[in-house]
Amino acid sequence: MNYPFWYIPHLGSGWVIGIIAIFHVMISQFAVGGGFYLPMAERKAMRIADPAVRAGWLEQLISHSKFFFILTGVFGTVSGVGIWFAIGLTHPEATSTLIHNFVFGWAMEWVFFLVELTTAAVYYYTWNRIDEKLHLTVGWVYAGASAATLIIINGILAFMLTPGDTWLAVAGTGHEASKFWNAFFNPTYWPSLLLRVCVCTSLAGVWALITSSRMDGDKQPTLKTSMVKWSVAWLVPSFVATPFLMVWYLFMVPASQRALLTLGIDTINSGTFSTVTRMALVIIVTSATIVGVAYFLAYRNPTDFNLSHAMSVLLLALIVTGAGEYSREMLRKPYVIGRWMYSNGVRVPYVSRINAQGYLVTSNWVWGSAGVATTNYSRGEAIFRGECGSCHTLDGYRPLRQLLDGRDRANIRNFIVMLHQNKDDSPYKKFMPPMVGTEQDVNDLTDFLNAQVNPPAPKPMLTAQK
Amino acid sequence: MTSKTASIYDWVDERLGLTELAAFARHKTVPVHAQSFWYYWGGISLFLFLVQCFTGVLLLVYYHPGADAYESVRQITFVMHFGWLIRSAHSWSANLMIFSILVHMFSVYFMKAYRKPREFGWLSGMALLGIASVFGFSGYLLPMDDLSYFATKVGLQIPAAIPWIGPIIGNMLRGGLEVNEFTVQRFFALHVVVLPALFLPLLGFHLWLVQRHGNAMPPAEEAKSILQRKTMPFFPNFLRKDLAMWLIALNILALLSSVFPWSLGKQADMLVPAPQGIHPEWYFMSPFEMLKLLGSFMPGEAGEIAGLLIFTLGIALWVLIPFYDANKASGRRARNAHYFGLIAVFALLATTAIGYWTIR
Repeated sequence: MNYPFWYIPHLGSGWVIGIIAIFHVMISQFAVGGGFYLPMAERKAMRIADPAVRAGWLEQLISHSKFFFILTGVFGTVSGVGIWFAIGLTHPEATSTLIHNFVFGWAMEWVFFLVELTTAAVYYYTWNRIDEKLHLTVGWVYAGASAATLIIINGILAFMLTPGDTWLAVAGTGHEASKFWNAFFNPTYWPSLLLRVCVCTSLAGVWALITSSRMDGDKQPTLKTSMVKWSVAWLVPSFVATPFLMVWYLFMVPASQRALLTLGIDTINSGTFSTVTRMALVIIVTSATIVGVAYFLAYRNPTDFNLSHAMSVLLLALIVTGAGEYSREMLRKPYVIGRWMYSNGVRVPYVSRINAQGYLVTSNWVWGSAGVATTNYSRGEAIFRGECGSCHTLDGYRPLRQLLDGRDRANIRNFIVMLHQNKDDSPYKKFMPPMVGTEQDVNDLTDFLNAQVNPPAPKPMLTAQK
Repeated sequence: MTSKTASIYDWVDERLGLTELAAFARHKTVPVHAQSFWYYWGGISLFLFLVQCFTGVLLLVYYHPGADAYESVRQITFVMHFGWLIRSAHSWSANLMIFSILVHMFSVYFMKAYRKPREFGWLSGMALLGIASVFGFSGYLLPMDDLSYFATKVGLQIPAAIPWIGPIIGNMLRGGLEVNEFTVQRFFALHVVVLPALFLPLLGFHLWLVQRHGNAMPPAEEAKSILQRKTMPFFPNFLRKDLAMWLIALNILALLSSVFPWSLGKQADMLVPAPQGIHPEWYFMSPFEMLKLLGSFMPGEAGEIAGLLIFTLGIALWVLIPFYDANKASGRRARNAHYFGLIAVFALLATTAIGYWTIR
């Protein structure tokens, strides 16, 4: 462990990352898609012969670029840095592995990020102040820089799902960074990149609908019609391409992890891992809904299209984005970095060593050198925080008190032993890491969980004796 | 249109009068104003009802009423492919429908859309809400898990508390002195035959009235001159928006039923004590809590009877509002009706909140 365990009651540490990340993705992918939307719209406006129509378009683009600049420049950047804070605290081991591999990648990312922020500001503040061709060029520079940030981060995100055999062959040797490009252009890199490009173009259209909905349809019916229809068109590419890209993406994911998708068809029993299936259903239904709603509300009724209509499209887009990011995270189970690190931070090749030496010995921040407690929690609780806390809480998200409800101590122990043995026929092997540690670790964890599930009866109150 | 399709159209048109229908739809308009949003809730309720018809028929294929009710629901939920999804969609759409009917009812109430000539629309709507809640109550028992069993047992105490005839009604609904497989059989017959037979014609009547009188405007809009009012054609503009709303409703339904699938508890066991936290469904929480509160002021049978009386009186006043507040002008009666509505909303929300607060 690089940091003390950061246990978030009720919500779970995963959701701390999740909430920030979904918020960030909604904006950062708009920053990329919108980066192309603006210069393309500006070029289209420059080619309009009628000066009045042209002025109307440009006026609308100025207000859209202000919205774009504030949203991406403030909320996008702050939430992006927020992800860094959150993953460092909730998943120090995985973060450390990523930094060791991709420090050069992140250096490139930051360069493009600076260019992106600078050009976004220049683009907005130089409307009508510099030559219009130069202004358009600034827009294209922004688009290029923001696309580069996506191209780079996508390599790192896809790596976590499918690091690829070449990198795995050197993992743990200290020479991981020598296979940077293999890790970067990993098996899911291309389908993942194209999927994200589709999401970016869609989000460019969705957010542009927000600003276009503010135009007065009674005063400028033709301008609003052309603006709204042009924005809706940005949803079309992803509607056509996403199903095929999704199939390609899933084809590149190892079959054992792809099998997670079918788990939820037969059953919704608690404890079985059916959420991915259900989330995948949400993605499909909601994507289709967005297209339908955008068609009926915006494309066929552009002049009546108002802010609440636009907000409903945005809300639906938020649902798809959330469900998509959630499924992508889930598909990685039981790993945080495919086949190399389990979702609780335990490296796959270290399992036998930890089983021999004990889990807490390998955790720097829990026990002192002589095996003396340096924290105010018990051994069992420390193991719970370290091995279970990345995914489970006690009584909130994936609550262990509820999931283990009805089991007595022996039964809880049997369950932990089953996770510890991690046999091939264990149904949990597909989505949960093994429980690692010695016999004593198993007993300590059992004691802690048993005390949570079957709390000892309260002692009778003692009345003061006179 | 090619000549062939044109001739098919003519053939059908001659017999069914499609052109008249299209002309009617073209002339029909919907008012556009700040409160137009509330016009969609009736349509959303209708959509959710259609979803329930569809999913209900699918559940009917595998459901067994009677002694193996629980086992059949267990199979639907855990064995049939996507059975869990259909069952979740059925339960969630039922709850969402009651919610959207309530929104629809209060928006009609505060827009004063029950006034002349729309009294029958209001009355039939109230009857539909009543039937919908019986749908909910009867459907809740059908899985026969512990929660549904004990909640039904508690719920049936309310009609049983009516003086003299109460116990007879209770026994008739239960099919005996206890809630058991005969009760399931009865509730099943009610849920899939009797209630639909009442609901569907009434729904047709309600929709026909909406077509006949058109959308009501809130008093503030009615006060404007015709030139100041904005409208949009029903076909295709309003219909498109309506369809978009249906899509959003479908999406929210899909989201809820797949992310929060309806669970199935343990099989009902009449011999074990009721589990903790037995409470009625949320839409019965308010009357349940009102009766409970009155019972604590007036313990015993007197409290029960007083509670039922006050409750019946309140519902009667609510149903008869078109005859109390009938004038177009916004006089004292209109204001009183408005306050009555606000008190009703407040009482519903407050008692529901207290009900959930005091479950343990």
